[in-house]
Amino acid sequence: MSDPSLLGSPEELTHLPQVAATPWRLAGLAWLVFVLVVVVHQVQFWRAGKLDTDVLALLPVSEQAPEVGRASKLMAEGVSRQVVVLLGAPAWSDAKRAADQWRHALEQADAPLRASVGAQSLDQILDFYGSRRDRLLTPAQRAELLQAPPGSQVQRALALLAQPGASARLADFASDPLGLFPDWLQARAAQTRARPRDGELWVHGEDADWVVLIYEITGAPFAMNGNALYQPALDGALQAAQREVPGARMIAAGLPLHAEAAAVRANNEINTIGWGSLAAVLLLAWLAFRRLTPILLTAVSLAIGVAAAISVTAWIYGSVHLLTLVFGASLVGVAEDYGIHYFASRQGQPWARPRTLMRSLLPGLVLALSTSVLAYLALGLAPFPGLRQMAVFSAAGLLAAFLTAVCWFPLLDRHAPRDTRFAARIRDSLARYPSWRNTRLAWSIAAVLAVLSLIGLVRLHASDDVRDWQGSPPALIQAQIKIGRLLGTPSVAQFYLVRGASPQEVLEREEALKERLDGLVARHAFAGYAAVSDWVPSLRRQQADARLTARVEAEVLAGVNAALGERLVRPAPGAGALTPEQWLAHPASAAARTLWLGADHGQYMTVVMLHGLHDAKQLPLLEGAAAGLDGVRWVDRAADISSLLGRYRWSMTALLAAGHALVLFVLWLRFRRAAWRTWVPTLLASVLAVAVQGWLGEPFQLANILALLLLLGIGVDYGIFLLEHDGDGAAWLAVVLGAASTWLSFGLLALSSTPALHAFGLTLMVGVLLVWLGSPLVRSGAGHPKKAAE
Amino acid sequence: MRRRSLLLAALSAPAFAAEPVPALLREVRQRLANEPVVRGVFEQRKTVKGFRNPLVSTGDFVVARDRGVVWRTLQPFASTLVVTRDRVLARGADGSVARRLSASEEPAVRAISETLFGVMAADLQALAQRFTIEGELVGREGWKLALLPRDAALARWVQRVELEGEHFLRGVKLAEGSGDLTQIHLARHTTSAALRPEEESQFE
Repeated sequence: MSDPSLLGSPEELTHLPQVAATPWRLAGLAWLVFVLVVVVHQVQFWRAGKLDTDVLALLPVSEQAPEVGRASKLMAEGVSRQVVVLLGAPAWSDAKRAADQWRHALEQADAPLRASVGAQSLDQILDFYGSRRDRLLTPAQRAELLQAPPGSQVQRALALLAQPGASARLADFASDPLGLFPDWLQARAAQTRARPRDGELWVHGEDADWVVLIYEITGAPFAMNGNALYQPALDGALQAAQREVPGARMIAAGLPLHAEAAAVRANNEINTIGWGSLAAVLLLAWLAFRRLTPILLTAVSLAIGVAAAISVTAWIYGSVHLLTLVFGASLVGVAEDYGIHYFASRQGQPWARPRTLMRSLLPGLVLALSTSVLAYLALGLAPFPGLRQMAVFSAAGLLAAFLTAVCWFPLLDRHAPRDTRFAARIRDSLARYPSWRNTRLAWSIAAVLAVLSLIGLVRLHASDDVRDWQGSPPALIQAQIKIGRLLGTPSVAQFYLVRGASPQEVLEREEALKERLDGLVARHAFAGYAAVSDWVPSLRRQQADARLTARVEAEVLAGVNAALGERLVRPAPGAGALTPEQWLAHPASAAARTLWLGADHGQYMTVVMLHGLHDAKQLPLLEGAAAGLDGVRWVDRAADISSLLGRYRWSMTALLAAGHALVLFVLWLRFRRAAWRTWVPTLLASVLAVAVQGWLGEPFQLANILALLLLLGIGVDYGIFLLEHDGDGAAWLAVVLGAASTWLSFGLLALSSTPALHAFGLTLMVGVLLVWLGSPLVRSGAGHPKKAAE
Repeated sequence: MRRRSLLLAALSAPAFAAEPVPALLREVRQRLANEPVVRGVFEQRKTVKGFRNPLVSTGDFVVARDRGVVWRTLQPFASTLVVTRDRVLARGADGSVARRLSASEEPAVRAISETLFGVMAADLQALAQRFTIEGELVGREGWKLALLPRDAALARWVQRVELEGEHFLRGVKLAEGSGDLTQIHLARHTTSAALRPEEESQFE
């Protein structure tokens, strides 16, 4: 309706046909309704506290096999509330005293931690297995019984019979003449290095004896106020223990501790980034406009933007991840652009009516918004749940801040901002700002930059390490590794997933796999494995073993009877077959129940885990062990994720190139031959930002590419504003204010301790600065073809 | 990583802090010889649940106070049992290992090995940590002790031990949790200051 090219002089403006007020009022009202809905939702949301700190949320979902993702999730659920604590001292008696003190102090402190039920009692094990022991054999026992010459087992039984107390039998002689059952039980116990000792769980290592304590958290996984709860409780208890035993040491690990550390850190980072950016935006607005209205309205648009972002994310995902809030906090520095742009124009044209002015700004604002929103949404193309949430959050936040500015500012804004010296200086600086000329100096500077970039690019090294996406404190990761080593706990990053149509099929497939693994264990590729079929062999295996023990034990008893003139008879085995169902329903399964993942889409799933796998060179062997076995899949989460990160690094690079082409096309639609002026600064800034990464020796990773995508969305905005309002100092003021706060927001994000967010922030900090400085260099002196030069 | 330990043979008896040894034990230790190496012969009578006849076996033994015990059965079937404070090794007639228990791998084993060693070497101080000991002095040189396990898990394996002797340990009665009863008579004790090389090699 109003042609922006007519916004020439005050006289003309007063005669302009007025922008109809009613639709605008309606839009403002409609937006008000939405904002009220958001406000109500926000109140409920923060009361319920639906934040989550899933440490693995940033990790990609396995795209090749959904069941792998499900298995990982189920495995994590089993231990998501568990904290393992080791208390150690050089002498066992000291370790025990330290543990007693520690327990006592923890109880006194009233921490929301509960000691897990300890080891299941031997009675329960005997109750469940004792009557069926004839069908339970370790691989070694089976081999020996199959291969041993007939007489040797009789000799062995006689030797054990004669010796005083050496048998430690769990049953009378005739029902287990070779003592097979105690040996089988011992093999089951060997699945962890922790052993019962003096009523504690004991493990030795690192020149100390350790008491193993297993706790479960009883409270919320993390405190909403960002204060740590669990770690301080553990540390406080340790101090109490050290007063009693000065040399006592503690190692603690568990998902709750990771989640808590992440929550505490996220809380600090949200505050730093969010409040830091907000303070910067408001300070800049104050310096430039010296009126309360622009500051208040900018603050309102940001508040609504962030609130709407949280609400929309919560509506879509049911909860909001803390890392989303960390990332989202940097939105403050981006979403203020629209409001600032409007006020800068108002300041430049105080005579213009607000609505008319907004109408004239709309094309540029809409274009700027859509490039940014598209760039943010592009982040969601990678299969990372966390990133998708960040994309939705940011897009929603930008849109809400934009709509607030467009619908409300013209209605609420009564007075044009005062002109300030600060603003005037910035506006006037555009005229003095150097612009690109084909001079020798310019080309030599360009050449130097090009060489520097090349060197930086050459020095670049890529990284697809999964650890870049997990920001757990190194001390916690160390503790986790230490505990894993001391207790010989199996790795959760590598395992076999076994599936079958029935429980029996799964067990048989496990056994086929274990036969191959036994060969690898014998070659010391790794220490051992843990599988459900260790505890509940398949029916087929049970029947074969029962036949074997019946045959050999009958021979042994016959031999003993002949030697000693006895008439011993092997009692008939008590109970029949063992089934997984019976086992799962019995307390005896506590030690290995987590290996059974249950039924899923008509398929039963179990996990076979590996102990003592410390040599990455063995991984191909382990992968080979699953080859050709039906329903057995080797899972190497670390390698899967790394290769996925690598693949996405390439595909997102391709997307980035496509994005650049698409943006250039959109810009060409609007600006035709001048479009390059809005795009080239962003392109060069992207290249330079990558080169800086190389110079700093920081690894180049997927996060950098995603940051470049966002830079494309944000960077061209500056070019658009400058070209839309060619040579207009007010547009330059808006760009300076917007870029300064954006730059600061991402600079603060670069402080994040999550490596991926740090890389993200760093790339944008460098990139935004370069676009900001570069955009006016290529401004067209001739002006926009559609505009009259001022 | 919910790995619960399995209370294996569950013989993790609390080792009580060495409490003041009652006067009785002090006196018994006074009466016992305190030599580095004691040798002798034994006759063992074992009644095993389900067996009609008791198993009678004879052989010889060496107790080295600082090393352990070698228990060599010669009749009716040759076999050897070597017990140290942290290991039990049983060999059959052909020298093949019939059972090997090691406390470094399985702490519960320590209860077995320490008890067996303590019984055979009459190491009363070690036994007092795992058993309550009652008894009486007999005459001017003799003594009789009855040991009851302090811990239920240990009681699973050994229910009651009776020891008697004077200058040397003469008789052992071992009632096992499985219902077996072992009675041992020890005789022809000799002492010396050191092990012979072939005995020494048993402990390798």
